[in-house]
Amino acid sequence: MKPFDIVIVGGGGAGLYAAMEAMKTNPALNIAVLSKVYPNRSHTSAAQGGANAALANTAKDDTVELHIFDTIKGSDYLADQDAVEILCSEAPKIIRELDNIGTPWSRLEDNTIAQRPFGGAGRPRCCYCADKTGHTILQTLYEQCLKKGVFFFNEYFALQLSVNGSRMKGLIALNIKTGKVEAFPARTVVFATGGYAKMYWNRSSNAAGNTGDGQAIAYRAGIPLKDMEFVQFHPTGLRKSGLLVTEGARGEGGYLVNAAGERFMSRYAPEKMELGPRDLVSRSIETEILQGRGFDSPAGKYVHLDLTHLGADLIMSRLPQIREMSMYFEGVDPIEEPIPVRPTAHYSMGGIDTDNFGRTVMDGVYAAGECACVSVHGANRLGGNSLLDILVFGRLAGRTAAEEARRFEPAQIGAEELKDTEAALRSYMRPSGHFERYGTLREELGQTLGMNVGIYREASKIRKGIEDLAALSERFRHIRVFDTSDIFNTNLLQVLELKNMLDLAETVASGALAREESRGSHTRTDFPVRDDEKWHKHTLATLDRNGVRLGEKPVSMGRYELQERTY
Amino acid sequence: MTGALELHTEEKRDITLRVFRFNPQVDSKPYFDDYTIQIEKGITVLRSLNYIKEHVDASVSFRAFCQAGICGSCGMRINGISKLACTTQVWDELSKCREAGIIKIEPLRNMPLIKDLIVDMDPLVEKMKQYSNWIETRMPESEIGKKEFLVSEEEFRKYDKATDCILCASCVSECTILRAHKEYVSPAVLLKSYRMNVDGRDAIHDVRLGELVKDHGVWDCTHCYRCQETCVKHIPIMEAIHGIREDAIEVRGVRDTSGAKHAEAFMEDIEKKGKLVEATLPIRTNGVAWTLQNLLPMAIKMILKRRTPPPPPLVKPAKGMKKFREMFREMTEHVRAEQKSHKK
Ligand SMILES: Cc1cc2nc3c(=O)[nH]c(=O)nc-3n(C[C@H](O)[C@H](O)[C@H](O)COP(=O)(O)OP(=O)(O)OC[C@H]3O[C@@H](n4cnc5c(N)ncnc54)[C@H](O)[C@@H]3O)c2cc1C
Ligand code: SF4
Ligand code: SF4
Ligand code: FES
Repeated sequence: MKPFDIVIVGGGGAGLYAAMEAMKTNPALNIAVLSKVYPNRSHTSAAQGGANAALANTAKDDTVELHIFDTIKGSDYLADQDAVEILCSEAPKIIRELDNIGTPWSRLEDNTIAQRPFGGAGRPRCCYCADKTGHTILQTLYEQCLKKGVFFFNEYFALQLSVNGSRMKGLIALNIKTGKVEAFPARTVVFATGGYAKMYWNRSSNAAGNTGDGQAIAYRAGIPLKDMEFVQFHPTGLRKSGLLVTEGARGEGGYLVNAAGERFMSRYAPEKMELGPRDLVSRSIETEILQGRGFDSPAGKYVHLDLTHLGADLIMSRLPQIREMSMYFEGVDPIEEPIPVRPTAHYSMGGIDTDNFGRTVMDGVYAAGECACVSVHGANRLGGNSLLDILVFGRLAGRTAAEEARRFEPAQIGAEELKDTEAALRSYMRPSGHFERYGTLREELGQTLGMNVGIYREASKIRKGIEDLAALSERFRHIRVFDTSDIFNTNLLQVLELKNMLDLAETVASGALAREESRGSHTRTDFPVRDDEKWHKHTLATLDRNGVRLGEKPVSMGRYELQERTY
Repeated sequence: MTGALELHTEEKRDITLRVFRFNPQVDSKPYFDDYTIQIEKGITVLRSLNYIKEHVDASVSFRAFCQAGICGSCGMRINGISKLACTTQVWDELSKCREAGIIKIEPLRNMPLIKDLIVDMDPLVEKMKQYSNWIETRMPESEIGKKEFLVSEEEFRKYDKATDCILCASCVSECTILRAHKEYVSPAVLLKSYRMNVDGRDAIHDVRLGELVKDHGVWDCTHCYRCQETCVKHIPIMEAIHGIREDAIEVRGVRDTSGAKHAEAFMEDIEKKGKLVEATLPIRTNGVAWTLQNLLPMAIKMILKRRTPPPPPLVKPAKGMKKFREMFREMTEHVRAEQKSHKK
């Protein structure tokens, strides 16, 4: 097969932007985008709230500087300041570019792009399209890629990198429609496979496929993962399903209320109230619940997100999706009743370690979007900064890969390697010694993570979590794929995704145990304060023969000195 | 095959999901499998299917991703109607079962079947390409990213609702014309085309319109309203279809062969071949005027709008058929006259 110059794995916002930019940078390149779902199905579509950019349309005194500062402070000073500078200064350009190519941004009265307040931001700078921002951005990018004739391999599941020593030769993937294992010899591979927060399963706002496939593939190929212990819990997940009620609901003026009828955020963030940063609001809700001030129900304890005072008009015009979701999944109409919510695992700050241009330590391998960790979010991502991240760094990674692709010699992937891979997949279907069910293991994975490596963490609990994970990995060796068909074997895909989550969960738990401090989303009850002396640094998780090996990497500082983070 | 899916103590019942099965590798023809499980109130069809896959039969195949009604993966026919499995409550379906307690689950129609509940989306993507379902920006290359377009509330409203479309293909599955003609543009693509065509930022309006008026395009729609009734996002698809037609006549004129041809074919159908199936006309419920307005091809309506005295007054239902015939003949004469004058 003719080698590709660039193979992009993932058709979400990051992958599509990378593809568009790579084509623009060098139209002569042979570029492919692989995705396990049709690109327009990617999880980017679920982002409701918006994307930050200091356009200064709504607040005339907003500046890129302020955006940088908010992001660094929000990250609990773990973000790399040079990366944040790129993120925020590219932001206005990229939002306008999207406007230019068709994203239907909501508008202000003067017909400019509308912006609204969002958690942790000092100015209203979150650009939005009602509550379907991610959906419309993804549609726009997909449309533009169709227009440009990007070569899509839809419903292909990436399995592994083909590596010879330190030389990357390309990617091996499963054609879901046929069940064939296929080789994608490539000079460069860009991972854009999204996050891993689905490992918390029922307590996660993520799509079923946000299983960290790209991170797991990179990890198994020896590429380090950075800051994996940082998983963001969104304050307002629906009680029953974990599905998300966007921060937009609080941005528009929603209240958080406990069982005693108090707007309890006054205790934790008297100034910002409901618009405090996510980690803080999540911890506040969890504390209210732990201290017995939550509501009780068979589906678990929760608090109220009250929108009733906003009125039917505003709810229907600005938050229609939220209303629909509350009705579909909780049976509650927010015009009339408050929505039952509790924190839900939402975003993975950690990911494949890259530099500011998307390069990993392995020649020819790049990463961008939620699957990468540049890091611009540090210990806590601000709402509206992730869509921005995938756009800005998706574009940068695409450009870098395009510029560098021709430096790497093409290579072929041997037939032997494909055969071995296929045999490994087939072996899951063999009855002898294979009896464990996917559903059971996945359920237990979610439970132990939620209980032991969730919002509040401590050494003894994390150790218990690590033990559980080891036991689950052991049991995984006996997992059985009961569906033996070739065509669209979704049972096989589930099992492959479970393997990825198991591998990554170990890095999350190990990082959480090592990091003896509380910072951003990572809260250790046994080490309740931030410890800059020991822990103002990134963790790096690398796979070696005995499992996770932890290393570290300094944070790149700039204009902003370490400060206590209060709101 | 039985099992139990519970969340907490709510009302529970034994319910059967009758699922369409077909694996082209081994099955010579499709069949149905019945799965009876205990389901409590508040559970969606998708969660029930997940339960079956995880605990009863791992080989049942369907697509699902977001589980929140936003990605468009899980379109399927539930009790005969195309919709999203993840936003459909099992409880709500119970009153719609043909056989009590049995919910029938089938793949979407009008798209090639891959396996069980999974159909091929590629033909739809190809149509999006054929009809240029993207914005070709008016912004000069050198200016891109430097300034924003100013978009008025009024313009924004024109396409706001259409951008809700999640390409779930439920409307595609229900479209009456697509069942007969696979090449037909399809409601979702008409909607998307309309969305692009009313966007002031776009520069290829005429190119798109040119494609839309060709064979298998906008004139083929029968106005059956199925797509709109089905749309999982409650998008007024017919407004888009009307919009394109009005636009086509506005921009390309009544003389535009495809529009005119379409109008002529319609009249011939009714007159000569007697194809007007009276029983299906919604005269009883909607009255003669409404029926004429909604049944007639846009081309005819546009001509009438300009050339004739205002449309006939509303006649009360019941014996409407005779009146309908009379009015139809009257209109036909006007249209004929109009077209002749153009052809000269
Ligand atoms: C409910 C929700 C609401 C959110 N709201 C906001 C918001 O308001 N503002 C904001 O800034 N951020 C928000 N976020 C975060 C943001 O949406 C995501 O971080 C971002 O969209 C991730 O984009 P991505 O391109 O990196 O990955 P994704 O959009 O997740 O795309 C991943 C792609 O990789 C593909 N893929 C994965 N694994 C494989 C494999 N093995 N083989 C082949 N392909 C594969 C998938 O098919 C998919 O195309 C929200 C997130 C959630 C869950
Ligand atoms: S109204 Fe037209 S597009 Fe819609 S279903 Fe009927 S024939 Fe198809
Ligand atoms: S128009 Fe409605 S039914 Fe049709 S694909 Fe779009 S969202 Fe689905
Ligand atoms: S799973 Fe995404 S729409 Fe149903």
